[in-house]
Amino acid sequence: MTEATFKFDKDKRTLAERLFEPPTVGQMAPVAKIVAYFLLAFWSVFVLFPIYWVVITSFKDAAAVNQGPYYIPFLDFQPNLDAWRTQFNSDPNCNAYAVFRQMGLLIYNSFAFLVSPVVTLTPMEPQICKIFLAFTNSIVVSIAATALCIVVGSMAAYALARIQYKPKFGNILMFVVLALVVILATTYAGIPWWGSAAVGLALFFLLARAFGKHFKATLGNGDILFWIISQRILPPIVVVIPVYVMFQAVGLLDTHLGLILLYAVSNLPIVVWLMHDFFANLPIELEESAQLDGATRLGIFWEIVLPLTRPGLAATTLLTLVLNWNEYLFAVFLATVKVQTMPIMVAAKNAGEKGVFWWEMCAVIVIMIVPVIVMAVLLTRFISRGVLLGAVKG
Amino acid sequence: MASESQKVPVRFDQVQKSFGAVKVLEAFDLDVAPGEFLVLLGASGSGKTTALRILSGLETATAGRVYIGDRDVTAILPKYRDISMVFQSYALYPHKTVAENIGFPLKVRKVGTAEMETAIRDAAAQVQLETLLERYPRELSGGQKQRVALARAIIRRPSVFLMDEPLSNLDAKLRGYMRAELKHMQQALGTTTIYVTHDQVEAMTLAHRVAILEKGVLQQLARPAEIYNNPANLFVAQFIGSPPMNVVHGSLEGSQFKTNGATVDTAISGRIDKAILGVRPEDCSVAAPEAGTLRGKIYTTELIGDHTLVTVDWGSDKLVVKASKDFEGKLGDPVGVILPRDQLYVFDAATGARVR
Repeated sequence: MTEATFKFDKDKRTLAERLFEPPTVGQMAPVAKIVAYFLLAFWSVFVLFPIYWVVITSFKDAAAVNQGPYYIPFLDFQPNLDAWRTQFNSDPNCNAYAVFRQMGLLIYNSFAFLVSPVVTLTPMEPQICKIFLAFTNSIVVSIAATALCIVVGSMAAYALARIQYKPKFGNILMFVVLALVVILATTYAGIPWWGSAAVGLALFFLLARAFGKHFKATLGNGDILFWIISQRILPPIVVVIPVYVMFQAVGLLDTHLGLILLYAVSNLPIVVWLMHDFFANLPIELEESAQLDGATRLGIFWEIVLPLTRPGLAATTLLTLVLNWNEYLFAVFLATVKVQTMPIMVAAKNAGEKGVFWWEMCAVIVIMIVPVIVMAVLLTRFISRGVLLGAVKG
Repeated sequence: MASESQKVPVRFDQVQKSFGAVKVLEAFDLDVAPGEFLVLLGASGSGKTTALRILSGLETATAGRVYIGDRDVTAILPKYRDISMVFQSYALYPHKTVAENIGFPLKVRKVGTAEMETAIRDAAAQVQLETLLERYPRELSGGQKQRVALARAIIRRPSVFLMDEPLSNLDAKLRGYMRAELKHMQQALGTTTIYVTHDQVEAMTLAHRVAILEKGVLQQLARPAEIYNNPANLFVAQFIGSPPMNVVHGSLEGSQFKTNGATVDTAISGRIDKAILGVRPEDCSVAAPEAGTLRGKIYTTELIGDHTLVTVDWGSDKLVVKASKDFEGKLGDPVGVILPRDQLYVFDAATGARVR
């Protein structure tokens, strides 16, 4: 093409064209570039400012918080360690090293505590013990609940992705009716719950075997998935009172086990849904091929399925972990004394007639954020894309 | 594990398969000779892949039995059937290297490391992959992936190879090359092979015998030349051949086929009110309008290279005639088509059955 016929000469464009059209293929228009970067910068500030604010507030004293808003340490206000000292050290005038040593001990001991017979805990300042208790509670509860939830949830998701279930509608109806009968019998006739439940279950299996084949209408995997996710549609506050009563009856109130079970159950729908998608996207030929090659079911899951869904598993684990770590509502009702978690600890700084101790609350929040960041950094290594690349097709 | 020289027969005995109300395979009988390369040919939905999957054990038959060698394998787990399968999508494990992919069937069988490495090298050498053993599937081209899948299939020396459209994802040139490689490999190994495809060229070139399926029913089982020269019915006649066989609708009276005012002499005699006359494009020839059995106008001409395809419109049907590459003719020119008496096929229009 000659120079003369080249219509869109770069230098002969109008101002509007220069601003709104990309200079060459594969670049952004100047205006689009400015808008994009402005939005990104705005969003970054929006996301990062709260963290910045929490961190600097933890270094303010009562005056700096109440007179203020002060934004920049050393210019607007003089940062000090009061909030940290009162919580982490008995000496009100100790230096930063002493404070951070206690913080380090807190984190070290929290993990040493998990293997406590092997590693002995290092003694800490007495003030820190309450935080330490909450911190270890949070770690134990959220890790155990996440592990339970991921194991059960991904197995359910794998089954739903690979097996076509056809539950009979009539059987489901029968189950619901029998469950109601069991509840009524337990409540009004005074029959012990295990007795009525056992009889009800036995009746269900007998009746389902006898009449199941006559029922025509069936449900599918989509219905099961919807049923699972519908548990999340219910606001947790609706559930918490019945759960309280139930836990009271079986003695799970204020126990690790109770909280772990509840957290695992409440996050199960999310895990099943996310993992179902990952499993469903896995080409089934890989598993069929392995099956023909002689691998066992467990071997296929371990050798083929698990490594290929690792990014999804890591992402789901991280999400579940964060949800469990930050959970407040169930904890505040069901974990009143012994198994108080970190969110409860944070909220506790809001109590009393002296008002909110913002600076102390922020110091606790900083402590609470650290493990999440560490986990995120560790797990994002696995959340790499393109693992499935090259599995099928040319 | 089968030894290298062992050749086993495969037999389908009245195999049926339905998915709910849909019957995909009906009373399917098939005997595959030891060491034979048998191609299951059919359009999509013909049941050919289902038949293969029933043999592999990935699908269970609704009724009937399947035998590999003298064993009834109908209810036997896939891994005990001593078969290996190549999938259309290759189904390579993306997180394993080429060597690990090829060695996987031995690894799950707990074969020792040294023995496995030798076997991997042997299998890789057979498909010219020795230099790529450390690569991952994503770093390979389509043809290379295909060869990894083949190597993984042969490493175990199974008694039967199953191949489900293994060449469909390759481009035309590579497909031709891999076809030759496959045929050579099958002959060298002598392993009974069942190969599923919808491509008639693959079927004709690879197979010892071709089984043509349509709507779950076996239409014809014969050598490629037999299928081409002596189709059992209208479906087979039209499915095999490129361009496909010409069909002319009319009626058969005695040995005269009457259609649209024209009369064609045939070697077949009978009386059928609704009959179909079939003739292959290469068996007819173009002639001067008055010399032809049928007269029409040139609809279009296509120069293929070594020949020209002339489509002739003669009123009710269009005929494709294979003419010489020098054929000159303008659209709309009147032209005659000569139909050779001995190369005509007649089918019953109602049933599609061949009239002999």
